[in-house]
Amino acid sequence: MKLVRKTNTYYLVFLVLLFPVMIVVDYYMIQYFVNNEVEEILLHERERIEYHLDREGVLPDSNYLFKTAPAGEDFETKEEFKDIVLFEAYADKKIPYRTYSFSSTIDSQPVIISLKHVLLEINELIWLLFLSTSFIILLLVTGFYFINRKIYKWAWNPFFKNLSRLKQYGVTQKEPIELDDSKITEFEELNQVIMAMIDQGKKDFQNLKEFNENISHEIQTPLAVIRNKVVLLLESKNLDEKERERMQAVYEEINKLSKIGKSLTLISRIENQEFKRLDSVDLAVSIENILSNMEEIIDFKHIDISRDLNPTTLNCDHILADILFTNLIKNAVQHNKDGGSIKIQLNSEKFEITNSGENTELTTENLFSRFQKGSSTKESLGLGLAISQKICDIYGFRLVYDRKDEMHTFSLFFKR
Amino acid sequence: MKVLVIEDNVELLQDIKCFLEEEGNICEIAPSYKSANDKIGFFPYDILIVDITLPDGNGLDIIRSVKKESIDLGIIIISAKNAVDDRIHGLEIGADDYLTKPFYLSELNARIKALYRRKAYQGSREIIFNEIRINPDSHEVFVHGKLLNLTKKEYDIIHFFVVNRHRLITKEAIAEHLWGDDIDMVDSYKFIYTHLANLRKKIADLKGNDYIQSIYSVGYKFTDRE
Repeated sequence: MKLVRKTNTYYLVFLVLLFPVMIVVDYYMIQYFVNNEVEEILLHERERIEYHLDREGVLPDSNYLFKTAPAGEDFETKEEFKDIVLFEAYADKKIPYRTYSFSSTIDSQPVIISLKHVLLEINELIWLLFLSTSFIILLLVTGFYFINRKIYKWAWNPFFKNLSRLKQYGVTQKEPIELDDSKITEFEELNQVIMAMIDQGKKDFQNLKEFNENISHEIQTPLAVIRNKVVLLLESKNLDEKERERMQAVYEEINKLSKIGKSLTLISRIENQEFKRLDSVDLAVSIENILSNMEEIIDFKHIDISRDLNPTTLNCDHILADILFTNLIKNAVQHNKDGGSIKIQLNSEKFEITNSGENTELTTENLFSRFQKGSSTKESLGLGLAISQKICDIYGFRLVYDRKDEMHTFSLFFKR
Repeated sequence: MKVLVIEDNVELLQDIKCFLEEEGNICEIAPSYKSANDKIGFFPYDILIVDITLPDGNGLDIIRSVKKESIDLGIIIISAKNAVDDRIHGLEIGADDYLTKPFYLSELNARIKALYRRKAYQGSREIIFNEIRINPDSHEVFVHGKLLNLTKKEYDIIHFFVVNRHRLITKEAIAEHLWGDDIDMVDSYKFIYTHLANLRKKIADLKGNDYIQSIYSVGYKFTDRE
């Protein structure tokens, strides 16, 4: 839910809850004030009447006079306010009054004088209140709504701009990100925190990358030395069988290490976008070249190749294209069985290679991660597909793996 | 031939020197940019082997200065970086070949010899080993003067062998020589084994000697010595 809707909903809920409260409070308040006012008028009238009685001994004319009654035996001074409803013939309806009775003496006769004053009709009052409150609330709601929208648009504008920039940003990106300044403290703080995080992330990424790069190429020279020495040792005639076997194991592990180093270097090189050339690569020709380089080994494994290559050109670095297709084809040859088959299809949409192989439980998710390998070929490093995936990432290709029983298919879609 | 190796790792330098001298070359070494520059001006070399990253300079600058003085020598870059830019740049400014570390000495040897042949004899000289004669231009191999019918990879194998005669050549070095270092397939060793059997048979058919010695399961030696 958007923030503006959320706040508006809260406002609305608040106002709706406030509505009856406002009516009740208003009702009692108005009633209280009206009663107060009426009582004041009646008290004032009483003073006037008593003053008149004192001076002249007769009741003055009074609009408020309700009735006078002789006080009986049980005379006592009592003053009270009372609400009554009288039917008024002239209005043909009942009208509420507030009465005030007090005792006095006329002609030395004790009497009780009652005064009355008309009150607001309750129904009318409630109705009036309801209308006026509703009107106020409506005003408030629309006011809040528009003000909120305005605030949302104006005050949050830099926030949304920055958000859309952040969405497109990745730590691998070389250009620094620029966030819009806003005069709102919270957003400024958020910007600062985000910038700090990005800087840290970038620094960590850079360090990691450099470490990767350094380690993978700094080991190459020592490896070259070790390997040469081992070959010299293997040439020696003084080794016995056991020693020779050990040296051979060392030699094989060195080779593995060297290949890992080379592959990791390649991966970080791809990540660094060192392959910037945009050659127009004729894929059909490239694939034929790769196949002819592997021709004899394909024959050797008695693999039957069927190909359907339509002329397709792709704009990418030819070295990367070569690595990508070599990897995919090599993969199909390597994980094939003797007398198996490979089917290659190429058109402007996709490149698809299907090979027969083992019925392995490979999952697409971890297939492309580093050092993931199929069960039988312990010699392979499991870096080939990670490299392929990296290359695909650069050009926005999509590489999909699928298996039906013993047929493994890699599909490379050139467009997203 | 006279070779100058410029490389800052002394151990690697010694190995290369040792290997090349056993091949009958005169090999000088230079562990730094400065000493390399001194030596180049002092002595005419046929082949220069240059590491790009040196502690006191860039190997590419050496190549540039050599080319500026139009000294005609073959240049092979050896580098741990395998950066495409370096490779292309190096070849552009006049290097003849590029090897990525770690390389097999047998591979370096093959490259040096091929380069030297191109430079010194314009590639026309044949390689001869007893009754075997190889013409690198036409990719033909003769045994007792008779043409050996070989597949492309079989030619590559025997050429690699003859160039690296009397040396232990590991299976891995052969595989890398045949397919480049991008293709490391388990099958390649079996493939090499089978094709060596074919090669032996073809040479034997032409009454050639079997010079291919299997060295345990490590690799092979092409030699007429014991």
